[in-house]
Amino acid sequence: MRSPRTMISMGAAMVSLALVLAGCSGGDDGAAGDGGQGGTLKLWHYESANGAMGKAWDRAIEVFESEHPGVTVQFERKAFEQIQQNASMILASDQAPDLMEYNKGNATAGLLSSKGLLTDLSDEVASRGWDKALSPSLQTTARYDEKGVMGSGNWFGVPNYGEYVMVYYNKALFQQYGVAVPKTLDELTAAMDTFVAKKVTPLGMAGAEYPAGQLYYQLALSKADRSFVDNYQLYKGSVDFQADPLRYGAETFRQWVGKGYVSKQSASLKAEDMGTAFIAGRTPMIVSGSWWHGRFASEIKKFEWGTFLFPGNKLNAGSSGNLWVVPEQSKNKKLAYDFIDITMRPEIQTIMANNGGVPVKADLSQVTDPRNKELIANFAAITKDDGLAFYPDWPVPGYYDVLVAGGQSLINGSKNPDQVLVDLGKAYHRGVEEIKNG
Amino acid sequence: MTRGKAGYWWYLLPGAVAFTAVVAVPFGANLYLSLTKWSGIGDPRWIGLDNYSRLLRDEVFWTSFRNTAAMVIAMVVVPTLIGLLLSAALFDVIGRRFGPRTASFLRATFYLPQVLPVVVAGILWGWLLRPDGAVNAVGRAIGLGEHDWLGDPKTALPMVMLVMIWVQIGYPVVIFLAALQRVDPDLYEAAEIDGAGWFARFRAITLPQIRPETFVVTLTCTIAALKVFGPIWALTRGGPDNATTVPSYFAYNAFFNKLQVGYGAAVATALTLVIVAVSIGFLKVQRRAEE
Repeated sequence: MRSPRTMISMGAAMVSLALVLAGCSGGDDGAAGDGGQGGTLKLWHYESANGAMGKAWDRAIEVFESEHPGVTVQFERKAFEQIQQNASMILASDQAPDLMEYNKGNATAGLLSSKGLLTDLSDEVASRGWDKALSPSLQTTARYDEKGVMGSGNWFGVPNYGEYVMVYYNKALFQQYGVAVPKTLDELTAAMDTFVAKKVTPLGMAGAEYPAGQLYYQLALSKADRSFVDNYQLYKGSVDFQADPLRYGAETFRQWVGKGYVSKQSASLKAEDMGTAFIAGRTPMIVSGSWWHGRFASEIKKFEWGTFLFPGNKLNAGSSGNLWVVPEQSKNKKLAYDFIDITMRPEIQTIMANNGGVPVKADLSQVTDPRNKELIANFAAITKDDGLAFYPDWPVPGYYDVLVAGGQSLINGSKNPDQVLVDLGKAYHRGVEEIKNG
Repeated sequence: MTRGKAGYWWYLLPGAVAFTAVVAVPFGANLYLSLTKWSGIGDPRWIGLDNYSRLLRDEVFWTSFRNTAAMVIAMVVVPTLIGLLLSAALFDVIGRRFGPRTASFLRATFYLPQVLPVVVAGILWGWLLRPDGAVNAVGRAIGLGEHDWLGDPKTALPMVMLVMIWVQIGYPVVIFLAALQRVDPDLYEAAEIDGAGWFARFRAITLPQIRPETFVVTLTCTIAALKVFGPIWALTRGGPDNATTVPSYFAYNAFFNKLQVGYGAAVATALTLVIVAVSIGFLKVQRRAEE
């Protein structure tokens, strides 16, 4: 249990440590040169060893070592939470790694870049041609302005994989109930009506975590265009929460609960519950991200499953994957750039593709599994049409909890869509004001 | 001050240094941070009492304190009352009729939830209460239908309270049983010979004899209830729609999810002040009762 005293101590420890570290690093700028003669590349990431990225980057380390004789890669696997909560302290210290995987978005990479903790990679990106491998919507999460808002400004990170939200479906249940793969939103609702008539809840849901927010956003995106995404995510214009597309998203979500497409009993469920219900063959469909793909491939043995893009949507929740960032305190920046360059090579990207990942520069002819091929082809189709719309909780720090609360209310009916939209709008506008005013 | 007494002050030095390092300085730093706007990196910006005035206008803050009152009922009032009855029954009835081993076994059973890490207990109860969990299975079997216990704002807080009562009961039972061991058995025998029934003995002997322990249990449980975090984190994360938010979770959220360190520090300071005030109040009442 985290007592108030512990929290206070933590807060104070954060301050003291930050002050000490700032003191340590203050006169140390010369140490963070571009020498590249350090003999070690200190590398941190938080991908699991048997995941697509983990396997691909393991190979990248081997390639790096063979191309840099005498240089040792000092790799440490970190936990996502560890980096999420401590990155600012780590990156301000002289203990920072030379290269690190870090979360993309305004509240993470953006915030750190605005405080001068990340190296501006713009020159390297141009000279090594990394930008050519990344479509405009993938570049959005890599570039941040001086206030740390993504979408413009200098490059502070390089993504080499992507992710997006789609529909996973159980082919056996579709066959059993005579349902065809829907191509439009109307066909999707007709398919769900068929399941409801047979007393099967068609769409898996988890109100206590991200899935509800993502379905609301997918529905909103069906009525949205790029300018809405730019306004909502990049503050390029005003966002009206009482009008479409967001009104359509909230109202349709609530209608779907009313019609039994989504269970009224799913407000307290977590994403893991939704995923395991799909794995167990109890749910015909779920709307969720590509991060499930590898797990479903390895754990679902009893039935055939497939994926399709959310029917009719030109815009889909999704973005680049997390970023390679080079801390300002890195002592071997050139080695870090060399490593990033290796992870962008077709050889490494293909390993990712063959293990259920979504590489940014895939050679489909090298991908053997048809499902992996489909996953990557769909991503390529989305990015080609500039269709990545990021995630609904990104615009302001702490918005995730607001969205979860809104989703839960839409599921359990404790608030109507109007009230939910008022809550979502209030928190959004307050957050944007804070970011704009510093 | 005599020369002899002054010599002993040196013995307090290690404690004073430790207190300064572990409590006073962090508290001072927290107090300072609560007067700033800070995202966790860069320089904190001094904003005076803005965080506190915002706190007073923040609905969620007041909801979190209302929920704390519910936690006090679930973690102090109910467990202490049930604990008193259970320990008296175990000591005075079960222990005598069925032997001390049976009483010890039952005591251990009641204490078991206290041994479980609270997050584990939270996850276990989360499984029982989920829509397809055991509680709904029983509900369906006896024709009551099913309900999303932790997903409905009307039932989420009562369910969390129920879990906390289950977690807490063992603690007062064990403390009260230990207290009862030091009560002179002659008192009970004499009362019994005088014809006092179980309830009369409970009221006239048990309650007054274990009053100091009752104070300790009430104080420690109240502090635990005010700062409760683990079960909320494991069961509901403060939801649905803040129905189960408590101040420590609210502060955690501000610190780590919203990166509003200054605001989180203000919540933590307010919570600390409440805990200190409650503790002082309790100790005063206890001292007066002892006099």
